[in-house]
Amino acid sequence: MDHTRQEIMAVAAARELRDNEVAFIGTGLPMIAAYLAKFTHAPGLTLIFESGVIGAQPRGLAIGVGDFKLVSHCQKATGLYYALSLLQGGRVDVGFLGAAEIDQYGNINSTVIGDYQRPQVRLPGSGGANDIASAAKRVIIIAAHQRRKFSPRLHYLTTPGFLDGGDARQKAGLPGGGPSRVITDLAVLGFEPTSKRMRLESLHPGVTLDEVKEQTGFELLIPPHLPVTEPPTREQVRLLRERIDPAGEYIAPPQPAGSLRG
Amino acid sequence: MTTTAVGGKVIGLKEAAARVPDGAHLTIGGFAHSLTPLALVRELIRQGKGKFELTSMGDCWAADMLSGAGRLTRARLSNYMFEGFGRCPNFSRAVETGEVVVDDYSHFAVTSRWIAGALGLPSMPVRTMLGTDLVRKKPLDRGDIVEAPCPLTGEPLLFVRASRPDFALLHASRADAEGNIQLFGVTSTIEEQARAAKRVIVTVEEIVPGSVIREQPELTLIPAFLVEAVVEAPFGAHPGGMFRYYDFDREHVGHYVRAGKAAETFRRYLDEYVLGLPDHDAYLAKIGMRKLMALRADPYWGY
Repeated sequence: MDHTRQEIMAVAAARELRDNEVAFIGTGLPMIAAYLAKFTHAPGLTLIFESGVIGAQPRGLAIGVGDFKLVSHCQKATGLYYALSLLQGGRVDVGFLGAAEIDQYGNINSTVIGDYQRPQVRLPGSGGANDIASAAKRVIIIAAHQRRKFSPRLHYLTTPGFLDGGDARQKAGLPGGGPSRVITDLAVLGFEPTSKRMRLESLHPGVTLDEVKEQTGFELLIPPHLPVTEPPTREQVRLLRERIDPAGEYIAPPQPAGSLRG
Repeated sequence: MTTTAVGGKVIGLKEAAARVPDGAHLTIGGFAHSLTPLALVRELIRQGKGKFELTSMGDCWAADMLSGAGRLTRARLSNYMFEGFGRCPNFSRAVETGEVVVDDYSHFAVTSRWIAGALGLPSMPVRTMLGTDLVRKKPLDRGDIVEAPCPLTGEPLLFVRASRPDFALLHASRADAEGNIQLFGVTSTIEEQARAAKRVIVTVEEIVPGSVIREQPELTLIPAFLVEAVVEAPFGAHPGGMFRYYDFDREHVGHYVRAGKAAETFRRYLDEYVLGLPDHDAYLAKIGMRKLMALRADPYWGY
């Protein structure tokens, strides 16, 4: 099935969610993957948003976690504190986050580029991301694979992956399990169990190892055998293009033949 | 459209803004493109009020508009983002030029500061922000968070100091003249903000008879005794939305964001939509009946 790199990114991310799990979802690409999972193999997935939406059943793509489409006809509409206290209380199986800047231990920056007090670029800030990454049983990160994002040293550590690596998370007192997967438009990555360094797990069809290395600003662990990411099914592509993101807001429609990135 | 409901705690928008002094420590309601008392924020700007300190969870609209008007001095925040439109342009520029000093939190941690304030506790333990720069880099609040073991079990925890802002400025669905506040849809951190703040002023879409409130008391988010004043401000969150009343004004948001990209263009926006208009009624007249009617929520879907 012909697909774009963004489409396989959404599909690979959706695969990480299991039926009947409780998932805390962030804005953007995480939402696309969560919808796709819910419409296919995980209809029993409970989608929670920090805005206070418990059990969303949206009839269209939401602009963000505050969108009324998520509130409308959800299971429970409540406050932010209730939603986040479910996280703190260990009730959330999986957190789904995007990343502006990410390092080799899965730590994320969404606060500043440059100096904290006089930044070159002031970014939105943590929001619920730090809370989700601190407390969800596992976290899936979805991000475009670009060298400037996959950075050896974050400008600011907003959201915890494995901090300094090893058992740093446990030592810091963080309750959740940390990131289990990083899904990009080039590859699926995970974390080596002891060092907690980011490790390549599979390359998307048509992507070379060199391309991944070029787009990663730190040294990735590379296993001896590198499988190819399972491509999307026809049905998954159809759902993305026709039902979930027909306007191409997050998943760009396929470019005409001859363009550089599909 | 003059205030149609008077009596009890109902006051006008001008009087509400007049009660907020320069330099006040505010906490303002709002989440993404909804729930922000922007009619009140515009009136504060009109009355020349400023030098504000904000303790925020997600009232991006208030922070951005106040930053753009040069009325914000410092802000502790969790997240300011215009969902679907990118960063908050005025706020980002104000931080990048050093005009606004900031201190970052996570949603749960900043809300927990209000919970502690609301409960009359000096501090509250949380298990979030640990190990990150949210704990290490605190230009405003170094003395307000500390890592310490639980005194009973020894587990590592983060203690955040109680926050009690001078004012909570909130927007809600409806209220009665007594001051009971009801809110449809998700409630953000309105309740926590109302209970933590020393004084609470709430603008609402409509003032309703007390019997309407009392027929569904389970919808009452803030009981009257916690509320100082209520203001009737229909479309008071515009260009944001209010669930079951109206959706956010996507076109106006786009216009605002483009204007906010530079100080000069945002000055023109402020002149056109805030400073150049006498009051909220004039603002709504400028937005126009056709647009306001198009934004009105479908009763089944709520938006």
